[in-house]
Amino acid sequence: MPRPSHPSRFPSSPSPSPSQPSGKGEVSDLKLQLRQLAGSRAPGTDDSKRDLFKKVISYMTVGIDVSSLFSEMVMCSATADIVLKKMCYLYVGNYAKVNPDLALLTINFLQKDCKDDDPMIRGLALRSLCSLRVANLVEYLVGPLGLGLKDANGYVRMVAVIGVLKLYHISASTCVDADFPTMLKHLMLNDPDSQVVANCLTALQEIWSAEATNSEEASKEREALLSKPVIYYLLNRLKEFNEWAQCTMLDMVAKYVPSDSNEIFDIMNLLEDRLQHANGAVVLGTVKVFLQLTLSMTDVHQQVYERIKAPLLTLTSSGSPEQSYAVLSHLHLLVMRAPILFASDYKHFYCQYNEPSYVKKLKLEMLTAVANASNTYEIVTELCEYAANVDIPIARESIRAVGKIALQQYDVNAIVDRLLQFLEMEKDYVTAEALVLVKDLLRKYPQWSHDCIAVVGNISSKNVQEPKAKAALIWMLGEYAQDMTDAPYVLESLVENWDEEHSSEVRLHLLTAVMKCFFRRAPEMQKTLGAALAAGLSDFHQDVHDRALFYYRLLKYDVATAERVVNPPKQAVSVFADTQSNEVKDRIFDEFNSLSVVYQKPSYMFIDKEHRGVFEFSEELGNLSIGVESADNIVAAQIVGATDNDLLLSTEEKEESTVSSSNGSAYSAPLYGGSSLASSLSQSELAVSSSITPANPSPTGLSLDDLLGLVSSPAPAPSSSPPSLKLNPKAAMDPATFQQKWRQLPISLSQEFFVNPQGLVALMTPQILLRHMQGQSIHCAASGGQAPNFKFFFFAQKAEEPSMYLVECVINSSSSKAQVKIKADDKSTAEAFLAMFQSALSTFGMP
Amino acid sequence: MPVAASAIYFLNLRGDVLINRLYRDDVGGNMVDAFRMHIMQTKELGTCPVRQIGGCSFFYMRISNVYIVIVVSSNANVACAFKFVVEAVALFKSYFGGAFDEDAIRNNFVLIYELLDEIMDFGYPQNLSPEILKLYITQEGVRSPFSSKPADKPVPNATLQVTGAVGWRREGLVYKKNEVFLDIVESVNLLMSSKGNVLRCDVTGKILMKCFLSGMPDLKLGLNDKIGLEKESQLKSRPAKSGKTIELDDVTFHQCVNLTRFNSEKTVSFVPPDGEFELMKYRITEGVNLPFRVLPTIKELGRTRMEVNVKVKSVFGAKMFALGVVIKIPVPKQTAKTSFQVSTGRAKYNASIDCLVWKIRKFPGQTEPTMSAEVELISTMAEKKSWTRPPIQMEFQVPMFTASGLRVRFLKVWEKSGYNTVEWVRYITKAGSYEIRC
Repeated sequence: MPRPSHPSRFPSSPSPSPSQPSGKGEVSDLKLQLRQLAGSRAPGTDDSKRDLFKKVISYMTVGIDVSSLFSEMVMCSATADIVLKKMCYLYVGNYAKVNPDLALLTINFLQKDCKDDDPMIRGLALRSLCSLRVANLVEYLVGPLGLGLKDANGYVRMVAVIGVLKLYHISASTCVDADFPTMLKHLMLNDPDSQVVANCLTALQEIWSAEATNSEEASKEREALLSKPVIYYLLNRLKEFNEWAQCTMLDMVAKYVPSDSNEIFDIMNLLEDRLQHANGAVVLGTVKVFLQLTLSMTDVHQQVYERIKAPLLTLTSSGSPEQSYAVLSHLHLLVMRAPILFASDYKHFYCQYNEPSYVKKLKLEMLTAVANASNTYEIVTELCEYAANVDIPIARESIRAVGKIALQQYDVNAIVDRLLQFLEMEKDYVTAEALVLVKDLLRKYPQWSHDCIAVVGNISSKNVQEPKAKAALIWMLGEYAQDMTDAPYVLESLVENWDEEHSSEVRLHLLTAVMKCFFRRAPEMQKTLGAALAAGLSDFHQDVHDRALFYYRLLKYDVATAERVVNPPKQAVSVFADTQSNEVKDRIFDEFNSLSVVYQKPSYMFIDKEHRGVFEFSEELGNLSIGVESADNIVAAQIVGATDNDLLLSTEEKEESTVSSSNGSAYSAPLYGGSSLASSLSQSELAVSSSITPANPSPTGLSLDDLLGLVSSPAPAPSSSPPSLKLNPKAAMDPATFQQKWRQLPISLSQEFFVNPQGLVALMTPQILLRHMQGQSIHCAASGGQAPNFKFFFFAQKAEEPSMYLVECVINSSSSKAQVKIKADDKSTAEAFLAMFQSALSTFGMP
Repeated sequence: MPVAASAIYFLNLRGDVLINRLYRDDVGGNMVDAFRMHIMQTKELGTCPVRQIGGCSFFYMRISNVYIVIVVSSNANVACAFKFVVEAVALFKSYFGGAFDEDAIRNNFVLIYELLDEIMDFGYPQNLSPEILKLYITQEGVRSPFSSKPADKPVPNATLQVTGAVGWRREGLVYKKNEVFLDIVESVNLLMSSKGNVLRCDVTGKILMKCFLSGMPDLKLGLNDKIGLEKESQLKSRPAKSGKTIELDDVTFHQCVNLTRFNSEKTVSFVPPDGEFELMKYRITEGVNLPFRVLPTIKELGRTRMEVNVKVKSVFGAKMFALGVVIKIPVPKQTAKTSFQVSTGRAKYNASIDCLVWKIRKFPGQTEPTMSAEVELISTMAEKKSWTRPPIQMEFQVPMFTASGLRVRFLKVWEKSGYNTVEWVRYITKAGSYEIRC
């Protein structure tokens, strides 16, 4: 839990400590001293200046505002002392942006320094000049930059090249109009200095990527960077470059598409020695090239895996834990893609006692993935060692890993023994995790029930506290009631302590288990069943209450039917859902050697739009599913509910929807569809058994009103919203126009708000949302994403006016938040539109 | 794009800013606060070195008592960013001459700002080589060396050297005595099960070199690795000599080594930088000679007593000896009293790490000293079996021994002036993570 911050501890709100002066007194003191020194030519002036400058810089670092010294600092900058100059440049670079007027003062001396005899000073001055970041001073940059690019000294050229990039970020048009990109291109292909070439490359990549969306020409230039002559030219010079520049180039080469396999082998032969480079980033960059080049050649691709294994394993075991984490994340990705190829390397994934937990966690996942018939025994033995780890999250993780291996592998016999040993370890968390696993195991391999039940029967329910584990234990008690002599009595004592059980999930399971047990051992259970139903009916939790009532009525209706519903013969679960789609995995793979791999999600899910070049954005839009037509058909076929007259749903159906909402993505079938008793009944058992491991157990205190979203509905009902704005219900816009418009307009409004629970449930089929919004005259341009992140682009048009509203809406179903960004032709009505949009969204999913 | 760092911060453990350098405008100025609020002040600290807050990603590393934080807003290359931090710290160390900590930063912050300006521009790494930077970043305040020379001479293109092909060596070095020192340092990692099976064992080695050589020498290093020897006998069409050869799993080299020649001829040839550097790193998993065998027997006698017997066998040559041997045997937290009997060295109980610590300063080869201890525990009412034994850990150094069996066969120095050189070679094996479960 985050502790409250203590602002006084931090220098940003200065505290009176000896080393950190707080008051303005010191600053004005400095001002005075600087002024005295400014004109002085006495010997030793530079030394005293240095001391003063140091003080200024140290104040600046700790966050004290020393911008008032600007003019004095500039006055003192006339010096031959290079260290003084550097300090002054640093100061100026920091404060020019907030003092654009005073920044003008510095232009003069910086421009003069740009013509100094010393290339060092020329370079430094040019760098500082470009770092001022003041838009109205760009005219002063063009001249010195032009000279800098032609300077005889490589150092100055190297600085000038990055200077061009800085200029581009301040004023793109000035940079392009001065024809700087063309000059950079020339330098890139001809300069003898490798760092100049490398900087040209980075600068051009950034500039042309950003320009590509506006001009055809720039996008051609961007393509040209990846053309054969350029790539070959760079590859041939690669070894002259320093390690960082090599990283940039390798990243580019990975995007190059060779024309035939000979070319591919040539490139790989040329780059093979890079796998021996001491810099891990170079090695990873090379690995990326190899993997990308051979994607379409299955055999070679596999050989590449074999080839890169050794260098990657070396990297993981050398350097700091942070470095090996970065490499391990990539190895993790490869292992997940081709576990078989790493099956014999499993010992490399054994954890060392002192490794940080983020490293251990990745290793555990890899151990799980590479387990196969030949190594399962060793891996499971090793994992069992970790179960006793002091690091409890890791211990839990390892037990889960054992379970996962059991569910995917062959040597189940040995694993079951291990799991049962866990149960006997008598550590709370070990028992808890093991119980959940045994339960899952039994769902897949019912044939092991005999061995497991014998051990599970010995566990005292009093020693199990965690809701998940308790629920698992209770599930087994119900499911295998006939094999456990004690079952009725254990359940009885649990029912007696009904009021002390805080988890509604456990109480729900208890109800079902009591029912199941009753069908098998009626005489022993009758009394307990009565007590359980009575307790359930008076339970304050809506789900528990409803289930009890449902069982009660079902039993009253017909006991045989009740048994068919509650305890039908079950089929073993054979396949477990994969959490990540192949498409997402492939996108992560394409972004090899970047943050995506560490976060295990593609970049569009975590990079903020506003910080990115426009180009990537448009690319993404193209990948989203365009149009709502096809969605409409599905929606029409499946969805009955969500109309106004469904306000009075029967309680059973309500329970359905909430239980399934806690199940995460377990369902794809329509939930509102079944209004007949039979279908809701058959789903009931499903919902019960699959809610044993819910993603988000519904909060205990939620009352019926909350569930219906009537009380806490955050937005006003549509009728009460200001009807000042009318939208054209038949607005139309094709995705390309949308894309263009989205780029042109600035963001008028952005807001975050909560989505009601009903909306989130209905969001499992996002098409419903599109249809719902269309009903409110808000149309969808594109949609996409995966739970928990959904993303929509909407547009709407003002009635009888051409004015458009564009919306980007990101809904996170796990935090139930919607983030909305609105761009509008007519900004004055954006507010009204937001209100409308919000109210439209808030009624989504509400009956 | 490789890094494109938006900002870099140095913080002390309290969260005070020591250095703050903003490179790009695409992140807000309150990034330090975000880092303090969401990482430093929460349990998150140390759980993962890469974190996302808002639209920005934070890479952080703790080095002695300083946090170095890089903030990026793009999909950056993580490996590159961490390597950059590591290299930057190495650079600072070479400037301060030793330690890198809060005090060193406070004392040298102007220098650090100067260096940060040079090693990264607009978020892209530039040149980080200490050899080159030291040519023109000094705290002397004089003008840079290439301009202080008389103007009639053409300005030597020092920056071509800064960025150019042989970026790691200056020309015109002269030494009276030409010497080369080679240090082969291996650390051996072991994970042994309680039944005495080796679960995992490997050696990571590095060859450190110290060169005091004049001019531009060409060096060639020969090792007893299998592939290299086979290649050599092929080239000379002569049968390979018998004798111990070893198989290197993987090798990485300093940038000065000609990798193309290594791949074609399997020889390590290079023009070395001046002074100290790491020539190569290697990893070996097959045929590792473990220097020590540890045979523990731990008996729990009831709830309040334990008997610990540990025998350590040294399995290297009898003429060699290990230094600084430390064996740490974990005991439960509630340990109250201990008594020891050791055949050599000294043993005591260290309550702060819950271990029995047995130290032997000089440990000859082919011996097997023993330690036996009785441990009394405070009886507690807490759950039984609450203690799961962490592994026994061991530290040691064995000079003149390599766990991999690696040997330097020759080191040839060739320079056009044809001077004689003196070569010194040392071997040492250290414990990496040497763990024995019990």
